[in-house]
Amino acid sequence: MQGNAEAKTVGTIGQAVRKDKATGGFKRWCHLLWQSKTGTVGFIIVLSVVLVAIFADLLVPHDPVENNLSDMLAPPFWMDGGSAAYLLGTDNLGRDILSRIIVGTRVSLLVGIFSVVLAGIIGLLVGLAAGYYGKWVDTILMRIVDSFLAIPSILFILVVLAVFEPSIMTLIVVIGLTNWVSYARVVRSEVLSVKERDFVRASYSIGTKDTTIIRKHIVPNIISSFIVISALSVATTIILEASLSFLGLGIQPPDVSWGAMLTDGRNYLATNWWIATFPGIAITITVLGIIFLGDWLRDVLDPRNYFSKKGGA
Amino acid sequence: MKKVNLFSIGLLILVLLVFAGCSNEGETAGGSEEESNTLVLAQAADIPSIDPQNSLSTTGDRVHRNMFSRLFMWDNELALQEDLVDTYEQIDDETWEFTLKKATFHDGETVTAEDVKFSLERVMTDETLKEYPYFKQLKEVNVKDEQTVQIITEGPMPTLLNLLAKSGSDILPKAYFEEVGIEGFQEKPIGSGPYQFAEWIRDDRVTLVPFEDYYGDKPKWEKVEVRAIPESSTRVGELLTGGVDIATDIPPNEWERVESESGVDLINGETTRVSLLMVRTTEGYVTSDPKVREAIDLAIDQQAIVDSVLQGTGVPVRTRVPEGVFGTNPDLTNTRVYDVERAKELLAEAGHPDGIDITFTSSRGRYPLDSEVAQLIVSMLSEAGINAELKLLESSAFLDEYNSKSNEELIMIGLADGLLDASYSLVHYTEERAAGQTDYKNGEVEGLFNAAGQNLDEEERTEQYQLIQEIVAEERPHIFLYQNAVNYGVSENITFTPRLDEAIRFDDLTKK
Amino acid sequence: MKKYLVKRLLQIIPVLFIISFVVFVLVYMAGDPVALMLPEDASESDREAMRAALGLTDPFYIQYFRFVGDLVQGNFGTSFRYNQAALPLVLERLPATFELAAASMVVATLMAVPLGIYSARKQNSLVDLFITGGSVLGKAMPNFWLGILLILLFAVNIQVFPVSGRGTIVHMILPAITLGTGIAAEMTRLIRSNMLEILNQDYIRTARSKGVSSNILVYKHAFRNSLIPVVTIMGLQVSHLVSGALITESVFSWPGIGLLLVQAVNGRDMAVVQAAVFVIALLVIVVNLITDLIYRLLDPRINYS
Repeated sequence: MQGNAEAKTVGTIGQAVRKDKATGGFKRWCHLLWQSKTGTVGFIIVLSVVLVAIFADLLVPHDPVENNLSDMLAPPFWMDGGSAAYLLGTDNLGRDILSRIIVGTRVSLLVGIFSVVLAGIIGLLVGLAAGYYGKWVDTILMRIVDSFLAIPSILFILVVLAVFEPSIMTLIVVIGLTNWVSYARVVRSEVLSVKERDFVRASYSIGTKDTTIIRKHIVPNIISSFIVISALSVATTIILEASLSFLGLGIQPPDVSWGAMLTDGRNYLATNWWIATFPGIAITITVLGIIFLGDWLRDVLDPRNYFSKKGGA
Repeated sequence: MKKVNLFSIGLLILVLLVFAGCSNEGETAGGSEEESNTLVLAQAADIPSIDPQNSLSTTGDRVHRNMFSRLFMWDNELALQEDLVDTYEQIDDETWEFTLKKATFHDGETVTAEDVKFSLERVMTDETLKEYPYFKQLKEVNVKDEQTVQIITEGPMPTLLNLLAKSGSDILPKAYFEEVGIEGFQEKPIGSGPYQFAEWIRDDRVTLVPFEDYYGDKPKWEKVEVRAIPESSTRVGELLTGGVDIATDIPPNEWERVESESGVDLINGETTRVSLLMVRTTEGYVTSDPKVREAIDLAIDQQAIVDSVLQGTGVPVRTRVPEGVFGTNPDLTNTRVYDVERAKELLAEAGHPDGIDITFTSSRGRYPLDSEVAQLIVSMLSEAGINAELKLLESSAFLDEYNSKSNEELIMIGLADGLLDASYSLVHYTEERAAGQTDYKNGEVEGLFNAAGQNLDEEERTEQYQLIQEIVAEERPHIFLYQNAVNYGVSENITFTPRLDEAIRFDDLTKK
Repeated sequence: MKKYLVKRLLQIIPVLFIISFVVFVLVYMAGDPVALMLPEDASESDREAMRAALGLTDPFYIQYFRFVGDLVQGNFGTSFRYNQAALPLVLERLPATFELAAASMVVATLMAVPLGIYSARKQNSLVDLFITGGSVLGKAMPNFWLGILLILLFAVNIQVFPVSGRGTIVHMILPAITLGTGIAAEMTRLIRSNMLEILNQDYIRTARSKGVSSNILVYKHAFRNSLIPVVTIMGLQVSHLVSGALITESVFSWPGIGLLLVQAVNGRDMAVVQAAVFVIALLVIVVNLITDLIYRLLDPRINYS
């Protein structure tokens, strides 16, 4: 079903991957992954973070929002005054930091992933519409895209969150509604180049429905760049959430997110460093993992990169 | 080749830009040459306005009261003293006459009765001014002669002199103001205080220099800088490294750091701000039952809040009129009622043996440690079977909810007393004012409040206010938490005594 | 080229219009600035009087037309907070932000160019892994976190730099590093991958096989060509710079446009928010246009359609 023209764009490796996937080429993927040190590291990190998020309820040693005034500001277990009950110490309300980080994983990932999904869907639709229909549709949509690009996203979000109370849901929606522009641009340019190819023109001339052309010929061609952008966006969204928390507009208690923990703990850095440091490490490691994995995906899914790397070695 | 050149030129331009920017700044900022006698004060927020009648904030007042003079002032013991006024007398219940001292504005003009009339009339009539609401009881200001002015109030006004010492009653130069307009005045404000305006870089600093012809004692400092540093760790950092001499609003988590550092002291002061829970007594809310309100109060251990999160600063109270404010009730300060078991019994008596569900709104980042205190209260309430759903809102969203009165059973807020008089606080318990908020209604309170507001007999007025506070503490339209403290980090070279009104007069600070 | 420029310039107009509408709607919905101007104690009638005096009780469309009408005349309205025209307030903040942005660009370039080249030359070595990992780390660290750490380390503990404020060149170093690190990370990665691509091109490989010293190769050929995209990234990073400036300026009390905007949003100072967003958007557009043009000058293969 996926004709010659596709092989041209995806390339032999991509084709191999695609074929293997169909025949359950799990081994092949593992092999590709194992070849890249950073890819492997990234994959392991992301996998563990996702597992922690899924099983958070089972993993937490304490109730993450329960105050415990007698155990306020306990240091991590290896320091004087620390105890095994609170492995990473407690914060200024006596809440267990480890438990909060575990639960925070879920919120941070939730916001990261769903806002990216939302942005991806909007971007896909807008990009497809603009690229496929062209003319005035394109002009109008692209001016809107330009407007969004001209306002740095944090600025836009800042103003929006001043209007709507920040919650997990509003954060997802607002970030999604701001970040779709980069998808729209990528999709549009891919569509423009695919549209001009002979086989698409051919299907068009024999009267194939628009939706069919989009589904069969255009979508498969943009999937790989889509995945790569999405992976990296999850990383930037996690950072963005932290920055919004700093400005007082992130996740609000009693919900816990890494960004909120980092923000609350920042004032204790000089005296009780552990409050902010551990969530900071959690953010850094997770983002690191996602970027590594994303880079690897880009290399694998884009045959041009793959060969240039090979040649250079 | 062309490509590289373009790039290096670009880079060069960047570098030059940077250096150009710096060298420019270097000249204006170079304060080091007169380090010896410069006072640097760091606050958590910039002054809202350089216009003293449109500022209405502690941060602004700390600048304004050093630049402008008022008819009266609070001294360090918080006794009312004449400032611009030389002598005064009360002619009848509603008429007061004031004679001015010989004083000059920073442009050399004499302060006259015309200026007083102009300034007070401005704040009495211009409703866009933030201070306007406080001056509505003034009826007329009449010039008797060059140095004598008469003020007529709407009915007897026992708090007139307090008002004339409050922010907003600053005396502005009529001639200058009318000549340059508000725009020009904001560019270069002129007052008659000990320090005159040099520069205001918004969100950065206000710089003041001494006014040599000040009518009072000669100003002590050669230069005063009031800096705005919102981020508390940055503010403390500046203090510890000697970048500033006094930093206000040091949060509890930084105290250890400030205290342990040699060269700086932590000074704890009281404020008139009382944190409290406003409770809906409205029919239909579970809190309309006085037993439920009492149970909530009994479930909260105000002392534990003060001892734990607030680290011992702040005073648990059962009134909004703290010690030091006119009309305070000493039986209700530095006390609490706390009894979880009794709270549970009360809930059962009220018909809720399985506990109740309520919604509790609090700000986050508006008052020191507000969100921490709120979270603590929620867990205290849960001990008594009161399941409070916490709604934490960022400052402006919080104010929206408060002002639109859309909160549910409980809302936590901190209220200060700008007049240092109980009338300012207790107005909340009048029916008109409580409508839509607490919906509290009590004829006796209403009567006492109105009588006190016109009562020129201080002793009787005090008793009236004290009685109101007793009733309120029993009926609990407000559940009081604690009187807020404010903490200053002060360089060891400087002696500083905090005041209840959080004001700072630069010349009260002395170098050791 | 000229036609292209005109076209791009014309496109700015609808973009600005869309921005003005979106910003106005948002700010309008953001609600009541009076709530923030009067104390908690003010009564409802006090607030109502002030709202009316400020023209805030007018219906939405009247406020919007007034806004657009003023805008056409270059008037962004009056800041409630400062009681003076909003646009000059915003413009007077620009130099501080420019200064910070330029300094962080310099910091970023100084970090990224040597690191990028070095890691490309030693591709797959331990050092390369370290630099690549480090650059990811630079991206993975929230700005405010880095800023606070830097203050703690270099200003409070060892006291080599001032803690905050704007003044001499030493005041600029910590904020510039804070803001520059994220950009340096991005730049390092870009330079590295460009270098790799060029080093692998046939002509370089041929030269290498002919025995041309690899140092000369790197500096004369590869480096030069890998710099072109760096110019573009400077353009692309403008919006990063602005976002970073919001945070960095707040941490360091740097009186630039970012700090102004954060304060204005918190205070619901509509006119200033509008003016600031507008000015920033315009800047982003102009800088993008300029880098686009430079890029086209540098690389004539791109056509101007």
